[in-house]
Amino acid sequence: MRRHSLWATHLLLSTTCLVMLVPFYWLLKTSLTGENLFSYPPALLPDNPHIFYYVDAWYSIPFVRYLLNSVVVSAIVIVANIIFNAMAGYALTMDFKGKRVVILLLLSCMMVPYQATVVPAYLLTKELGLLNSHLGMALPLMSTIVCIFMFKASFAAVPRSLIDSARIDGVPEWQIIFRIMLPLSQSAIATNVVLAFTWSWNSFLWPLIILRDDNMQTLPLGLANFLSVVEDTSGALYAFCIMVLIPGLVIFLLAQKQFIQGLTTGATKG
Amino acid sequence: MTVKFGIGNKRLRESTLIWFLLFPSLAVFLLYRILPLAWNGVLSLQFWSMYKPPRFAGLYHYKELFLYDDVFRQSLWNTLLFMVGSPIGIALGLMIALLVNRPIFGRNIYRTIIFMSFPVMTVATGVIWLWLFSEKTGLINYFLMYIGLIDHSQPFLEDFNLALPSIVLVSIWQVVGLYMIIILTGLQNIPPSIYQAAKIDGANSWQQFWLITFPLLRPSIFLCLIIGIINSFNAFDLVYVMTGGGPGHATELLITYIYKTAFTLARFDYAAAITVINFSLFLALTWLVNRMSGGNAGAVETN
Repeated sequence: MRRHSLWATHLLLSTTCLVMLVPFYWLLKTSLTGENLFSYPPALLPDNPHIFYYVDAWYSIPFVRYLLNSVVVSAIVIVANIIFNAMAGYALTMDFKGKRVVILLLLSCMMVPYQATVVPAYLLTKELGLLNSHLGMALPLMSTIVCIFMFKASFAAVPRSLIDSARIDGVPEWQIIFRIMLPLSQSAIATNVVLAFTWSWNSFLWPLIILRDDNMQTLPLGLANFLSVVEDTSGALYAFCIMVLIPGLVIFLLAQKQFIQGLTTGATKG
Repeated sequence: MTVKFGIGNKRLRESTLIWFLLFPSLAVFLLYRILPLAWNGVLSLQFWSMYKPPRFAGLYHYKELFLYDDVFRQSLWNTLLFMVGSPIGIALGLMIALLVNRPIFGRNIYRTIIFMSFPVMTVATGVIWLWLFSEKTGLINYFLMYIGLIDHSQPFLEDFNLALPSIVLVSIWQVVGLYMIIILTGLQNIPPSIYQAAKIDGANSWQQFWLITFPLLRPSIFLCLIIGIINSFNAFDLVYVMTGGGPGHATELLITYIYKTAFTLARFDYAAAITVINFSLFLALTWLVNRMSGGNAGAVETN
């Protein structure tokens, strides 16, 4: 590649990265100084950073409660996703009557964004008595079609002879799943964990609809609520924002590969 | 006879096991996809109230929607405008993908940074950009005045004409990394031998792009288009946090209007009718995109 074209590439990409990073930087800077809440023109570098706003946020928001609710919902979603998707994926590796119908059903369910069904889904959840509950928040996210097909693909890649010989040796079916299949499909599991975490962690509309109780609020709801209470000129809002962002960003940076793999296999939310 | 019976018994046991394995996932999808979809259709044809049994309403709600409801028309239009923003994002994603596909130093770092905004909580993204767009102290106003593009602060999110484009911009900022990754995967699937052959035939890089890269990227690009369509549903979080649908109804999308109608006005039947329109729009556009791409955009490999 010619030299000047190389530099042009770096220049364009650095500019793009700058545009992607500046919002995060600005958020961090405001949460540490709060100076440009009041001063103009805004300073580019943080002057006298302090953690006052974090302390402020900590005491004015039941952060631990929000965090706990978010963690509980995400934990339910992740565990349910792995178990249910692995089960369904395993079933789909076998031949049975009605398999075509099941696959067709799953593929057409992919075409239904859950946002398109919120109104009756709310009424349904009410009938089930799950309004205002962790289970109610988790239930619609408990299985993901993309991940079912991922499990199916990784189970199908396990050599048939291995399973057959296990069966001949009289190993029960559930042990075949736990001792042979699951250890061999670690990448599908990892991808599933990361995707399920992101979707449940960031989920906003559904909890907004089914929660009435302040004690049940998750982090995104807490953040939106706090915004409506304090307006956008409080440093504590931005400190809270940083506290909310960190877990998601850490998980993303740690599991980037699985995340990207999952998104490019299915890409649409199942 | 006994042998036959034995096989039948084994078959039965196996199929019981299979349906037992499928049951939890199918139950979730039946409960939260199929059943609500059907119920939604029925609900849109009813007069529904919390306290009375529902009555059949025919097309009453649809009539109201199309003949009398200006907010509905506005939010339908806004949703379409919002979707129009996605090709811009995809074009950007394509350009970035072409750049980070080059063998340059640090391209993985570039990819990570550009993709990082996608998994970030949308509500937090809304809060950050609300702050950047702020009229008095916002960085964007400051920057635009600094480079001399505007001579006084613009109230981006309170302005009828600027509010929706501002939100579209934020949405592009958030999703461009995903477009990049999808197109990048497409790029990496193009066999390099094609380019070598083209070079031997004397094709310049411009011709290589339009005659090889772009046509072969078609499935990835159409997949991005479908994501763009779905994104107009997910934009609820951004609109809710940044403008609440305002000023007036300048940033009202169908999904926010559905939310308001159902959960603040308790008009579930009417909200169901809007949902039917929204879903039909989604299906029609997806079908269109799918046809244009040759029939398998967004297909998951099931085998």
